[in-house]
Amino acid sequence: MVDFGDEFQFQPDVSMETVRTFVKAARMDFWRFTDHERARKDGGLPGAIVPGIMSQGILAAAIHRFVPGGTLRRIDTIFRAPVIVGSSPLAKCVVTHVDEDEGVAEFDLTLENEAGETRVLGTAVVSLPPTDERGDE
Amino acid sequence: MILDLHNHSIKSDDGRARVENYCQWIRKRELPLDGFVLTEHRQFDAESDYRALENEFGLRILKGSEVETEYGHVLLFGVNPDLERALDFTRVDLPLATVLEESVRCGAVAVPCHPGRPNVGLCAHYDTLGPAEGVRIIEVASGGSRAGEEEAAAALAETHGYLGVGGSDAHIVSQIGRRATRFPREIRDEEDLAAALREGSFEAVRWQ
Amino acid sequence: MAVMDVDKLKARFVGREFDTSEFVVKHEDALTFARCCGETDSRYSDPEHPDYQAPPTFLARFVGRRTMPEEFPADEFRGAFDGGKLVVAHAPVPVGETLIAASQIADVFRKTGRSGAMTFIVHRMEFRDRAGTLISTVDWKLIQKEGA
Repeated sequence: MVDFGDEFQFQPDVSMETVRTFVKAARMDFWRFTDHERARKDGGLPGAIVPGIMSQGILAAAIHRFVPGGTLRRIDTIFRAPVIVGSSPLAKCVVTHVDEDEGVAEFDLTLENEAGETRVLGTAVVSLPPTDERGDE
Repeated sequence: MILDLHNHSIKSDDGRARVENYCQWIRKRELPLDGFVLTEHRQFDAESDYRALENEFGLRILKGSEVETEYGHVLLFGVNPDLERALDFTRVDLPLATVLEESVRCGAVAVPCHPGRPNVGLCAHYDTLGPAEGVRIIEVASGGSRAGEEEAAAALAETHGYLGVGGSDAHIVSQIGRRATRFPREIRDEEDLAAALREGSFEAVRWQ
Repeated sequence: MAVMDVDKLKARFVGREFDTSEFVVKHEDALTFARCCGETDSRYSDPEHPDYQAPPTFLARFVGRRTMPEEFPADEFRGAFDGGKLVVAHAPVPVGETLIAASQIADVFRKTGRSGAMTFIVHRMEFRDRAGTLISTVDWKLIQKEGA
């Protein structure tokens, strides 16, 4: 199903509308996530920023798209720099280890900005779906 | 011999790569590396033994450290018990002058890394503290650099006549091999790496 | 913020449980969380799925009644920002149920980075269901810039 070195990427929606919807559901409706001007003026930020847990959720979603039926066991993300609301980041996963006997794969995760700079990085461990569900044999 | 001189494993607080996975990545991606150095943050990992991995993957795996000074971060190559006794690797405010002096005294080599990076690179501190005596080599090619940072490092090297090395500053598996250093001869072990750096014949290389 | 004595903070606070709180995994919140993050896996995006559950990182959004122990110098960390999160998923996150989370400080350390000298606090929450089954462990790194 997944082989060492396989890569996947998708472009998540971090528009202001989506971020505002997210922060309401996550009960974290703070101006640094929803108000560009105030984030700059009062927060010293380059603009409103995507919440860290949303970035992590996006990377988890990337894993689920990449490995249908896989079960995320562990996801570890480091927030290196802000992801700006309304920007066009790219969520990427790459397979760095596969243990067929254990049915487990490991991934590197990155969320990059348009300049290709890594804003969020991390790793994930996924239990692969049983072989008969993978459809690769 | 081409070595990636700056990488972190799970031994570093923000490292997420297992050393075996670095080896697999280098081999399966056929990266033009003969080996790499693990430069863990604020410690020297004396206990890990990577000889079995060296044999399995045919790579040279060496150990160094990345320590923190008032001038930013510094890579240490050729770390030995003398140097470990001389410096408290866990401090975030080691005096660079002390790091440089003790490295020389103990037969190691200290290389300021990612010099163009804000707060943890030489460039920012040269503006306020002035140039540091005793620096010979800096990391001119550093993976993870943002726009302008490597250029700033190159300019600093040119201005002060510093030699330049390269390292990826990898924290996850897929980051290894972005930058490296080419040596004209084989490097056998950590002491030999320090000797090769003192010889001064090497160049930084970039691939990504 | 003054430079903290991290050794003293570690000795005094690391490993001590200081809060227990209950959280309801609300259906609407979990579904919105999933959809906003771009989840297409129907286990998380389709309430009709037989295995429907909240996304594995959903619990990272919860904080207890206290984020730090009572005697912790919380004032020194007023400007702290989120440096990262680790989620270990032990079991599916059940939608509509109440989970109980125990909080502790897992680590304190200092380092320097692009933002200068910083103190890191690793805050840990362990979420269990009413039967005591461990569902998820969430570590988050709070970072306070020194001198800020």
